Amino acid sequence: MVVNGMSASSNTSPSGSKVSRLPGDLIDPRALMALDSLELRARTVVRGVTTGLHRSPRHGFSVEFTEYRQYTPGDDLRHLDWRVFGRTDRDYVRRFEDETNLRCHLVVDQSRSMDLATQGVSKAAYGATLAATLAYFLQLQGDAVGLLTLDEAVREFIPARCRPGHLRQLFQALERASSGHSTDLATALERLADLVPRKGLVAVISDFLVPVEMLIPRLRRLAACGHEVVLFQVLDPAELDFGFEQPTRFRDLETDQWIELDPSTARAGYRERFGAHQSALREACLNLGIAFHEADTRQPMERVLVSFLEQRQGARSRGVRGGEAMS
Amino acid sequence: MSFLAPLFLAGVAALALPVLFHLIRRKTRDQVPFSSLIFLRMSPPRLTRRSRLEDLLLLLLRCLVLALLALAFARPFFKQPQTLPRIAGTGRRVVLLLDTSASMRRSGVWEAAQARVASVVFGLGPGDSLAVHAIDRQIRVVTTFDQWNAQPAGAREGYVTGRIKTLSPGWSSTDLGAALVRAAEELADPTTHKSDELLQVVLVSDLQEGARLQALGSYEWPKSVRLIVDAVKSKSEGNAGIQWVPGAPGAAAAGDPSEGVRIRVVNSGDARKESFSVAWTKPGTQEPLGAPIPVYVPPGQSRIVTLPLPGTNAPAGVTQVMLIGDDEAFDNRIAVIPPEPTPVRIAYFGADASEASTPEGVSRQPLFFLRRALEGNKRQRVEITARSPDATGAVSVDQLPEVNVVTSALSASQASALRERMTAGATVLLVLSPEDSASNLSALSGVPGIAVEEARVRGDVLLGDLDFKHPFLLPFADPRFSDFTHIHFWKYRKVDATALTGARVPARFDTGDPAVIELGVGRGRLVVFASGWQPSDSQLAVSTKFVPLLQSILESAGVGVEQPSSYVIDDPVPLDAREAAAVQIRTPQGRVIPVAKGSASFSETAEPGVYFVESTGTGGSAGKVLRRFAVNLDPQESRTVPMPLETLERFGAPSIATTDRPAVEPSTAALGALAAIEAESQQKLWKWSLTLALALAVLETGLAAFGTRRSIASAAAPAESSPVSP
Repeated sequence: MVVNGMSASSNTSPSGSKVSRLPGDLIDPRALMALDSLELRARTVVRGVTTGLHRSPRHGFSVEFTEYRQYTPGDDLRHLDWRVFGRTDRDYVRRFEDETNLRCHLVVDQSRSMDLATQGVSKAAYGATLAATLAYFLQLQGDAVGLLTLDEAVREFIPARCRPGHLRQLFQALERASSGHSTDLATALERLADLVPRKGLVAVISDFLVPVEMLIPRLRRLAACGHEVVLFQVLDPAELDFGFEQPTRFRDLETDQWIELDPSTARAGYRERFGAHQSALREACLNLGIAFHEADTRQPMERVLVSFLEQRQGARSRGVRGGEAMS
Repeated sequence: MSFLAPLFLAGVAALALPVLFHLIRRKTRDQVPFSSLIFLRMSPPRLTRRSRLEDLLLLLLRCLVLALLALAFARPFFKQPQTLPRIAGTGRRVVLLLDTSASMRRSGVWEAAQARVASVVFGLGPGDSLAVHAIDRQIRVVTTFDQWNAQPAGAREGYVTGRIKTLSPGWSSTDLGAALVRAAEELADPTTHKSDELLQVVLVSDLQEGARLQALGSYEWPKSVRLIVDAVKSKSEGNAGIQWVPGAPGAAAAGDPSEGVRIRVVNSGDARKESFSVAWTKPGTQEPLGAPIPVYVPPGQSRIVTLPLPGTNAPAGVTQVMLIGDDEAFDNRIAVIPPEPTPVRIAYFGADASEASTPEGVSRQPLFFLRRALEGNKRQRVEITARSPDATGAVSVDQLPEVNVVTSALSASQASALRERMTAGATVLLVLSPEDSASNLSALSGVPGIAVEEARVRGDVLLGDLDFKHPFLLPFADPRFSDFTHIHFWKYRKVDATALTGARVPARFDTGDPAVIELGVGRGRLVVFASGWQPSDSQLAVSTKFVPLLQSILESAGVGVEQPSSYVIDDPVPLDAREAAAVQIRTPQGRVIPVAKGSASFSETAEPGVYFVESTGTGGSAGKVLRRFAVNLDPQESRTVPMPLETLERFGAPSIATTDRPAVEPSTAALGALAAIEAESQQKLWKWSLTLALALAVLETGLAAFGTRRSIASAAAPAESSPVSP
């Protein structure tokens, strides 16, 4: 059951544990991660969302929409839909599938910072599941899905396709353990801009714990290339509220540097700086027309998916530039 | 609250330890992985982080345990108001023992002791009572409890200090044990004190190791009596002393008695000086006579040095030997009387007296053997005056000596003079001769008509029955010497001993006739030999028994006995029978002390030096020196190293030393210290602190264990509570 009126901003989860009070039809991420197969996870999430779609008042939206248009002279007759013409005596031109289908590229951060798992679910697992879910969902709609995994460099690039078996290749790439350390999101995005000349959807799944000013030029370039860019920020609850109690050493997962801290005194400063980072990121997205979704690892995957769909629907209805031209 | 040992309160500084440990404990080595440190800053300084403490309850408990421990060691007590108990009558009952022995004459000791006594006296309150004993070899009561109580409250201190000022250290040794026992007995007597009174013996002494403690050994120190030792120290360190070592009796074989006197030089263990010299002292001065003899004595050891006699050209009256090189003068001078042979005067009445000038003719006569037998030796100087029995002219009774020997018939005047002298205490040895023995015996014994006849001897007789318990034969009592069976007698005179009432017969011939008869006449005695010792009568003179027999007769007559000439201060000096008659004794200070008639001994030997026994009476004999003896310090008094207090405690006297307390003006400081010790020992607050500390330690252990278990449990909890999948 999709909760009405849920917005992206409400996804910043309260610090309290909501896992145990989840409604029965939403799946706790920890339970979801208990499933070994990435495909199974994706299917479980998508099924939960799509079964709800029929009862939803917002049915009928889709990333992919088969387009017909009135024949105008000069159109290639090959594209005339003869069956419609034969049935209704009207001439409609059907667009080719490869033109109409969404070409989506998932950019998944697999650096070490994604390994943080204070609530039993690591950000990497969550991000991979989210990527798998999106891929499954889009594939189900006939869209082409590609994948780019990265850490300090681009690890794997699978161009967007929609042929059968492609999804399995994606899942395998997602399940492959990363060996990298740091995150070089900026280079990866530049690389993607080079690799994907055609306009499409670019979904970046990362924790975005890098300086925002490094991201902005790359995001601007992607957006300028006509891509619809969606950012999924996967965060651990500890990163949100810094709820540590004991004074201890904090070790950077990527650099292995450590710092000795008393959380009780460091918490305020952390929240301030983290909040500033988040606002800067959001503001940048707003300025660039980029959709931004924030998810912590306690959040059910369905909500992220629904939030994503709602955002696309809203963008479509508002006529905000959405990559593909909607008729 | 006050403390006996406030220095232990420094242990409170150990409170920093648990705080430190709590801070250190916080510094964990654990690492928490975190995605990125870019939002974290080192901003909070370490100190600020560490200043926060955890487990405040545990920390508080640990600090409390330490603080209580420090408190217990500091021996806390609550000061009790000083005046209240006195008003209530629970005062102190103090016997103050003031050492007046010779070692207290050391420099600064007596002054310090008086100051201590004054401080004790002025520290007493109106409810306290005091008795003062001056102790050395004897115990002299200076003031009693009754005298103290009889004085008005304000005048007591003045009274006691006034009495103490009259005291001065004497020359005696220290019998500390007897003094302590007597003081403790006096205090512990339940009839004399109230039950709530504190009983204390305060001992003000130099506690020299030469003090005698033997009396304490057999005494169980009463638990209610506390001993407070107030030891005073000498200003100088160490002390050396000299003692006269008289020659051993019988050492005459060594030869010339003028070889010198032996002096023992003793150096105390804490001495710094090692080189001394010994010399005779010029009479009346402090200067040495002749060259001093150097002697090297390491600390704690003693050496013997032989000091040559002053010599003939030395001034008369040299009796003092001095030790040069020691700071403490009290035992550096001793009186020494070189050994002199005892004069023995014997009057001989015999037919052979006139023939003494013709040695050949008298060589086998009694006088000849008597002279040889009593020839002068180192111990005796025998002077025999021979008289012919038929010599005309009266014999003065005064001229007759203690011992008279008669071998032939006496004239009537001689007999009566001898009889008179004998009645006054002399001894007459009568050898029965064949001619006039009956008249002699009758005249001297005073029993007329005693039959004396020449015994008919066939061959010879031997001595048969000997009474070895008799003084004459006592030297022969040992079986090694008791063989008289080789002495043959060819002639003897038979006497009916039963006619002589009161006569004893130490020896009889094997015929049963008396050989020797002893008869008391007046204060003297008559000794009768039934046979002569000359070879015409017997073999006695040439036997080994002759000389000892004569000596034992002389000794029992009281002559020829060497009187010891060296005594220790306060030793009673025995007076022999002659002196007991009527003598006076001149002390070294020139004081003349008459000795009552019949006194067996003279005990007023309080000063060191040479004492002269002089005859009394009028006329030429008055003031005549009969003999002299030296009185010196007890050698124990020279052992001035302080005795450790444990020695006293070993005898069960719970002593408290206040040695190092300065002798300040009679303030309440001393009293306060004593009161503090007593209050602390009564309250025993340290026990409670220790108990509480232990209880808190147990509580702390429990809490810590509980806390640890809980933290382990909470660490394990999240792993168990994984949610159930839908």
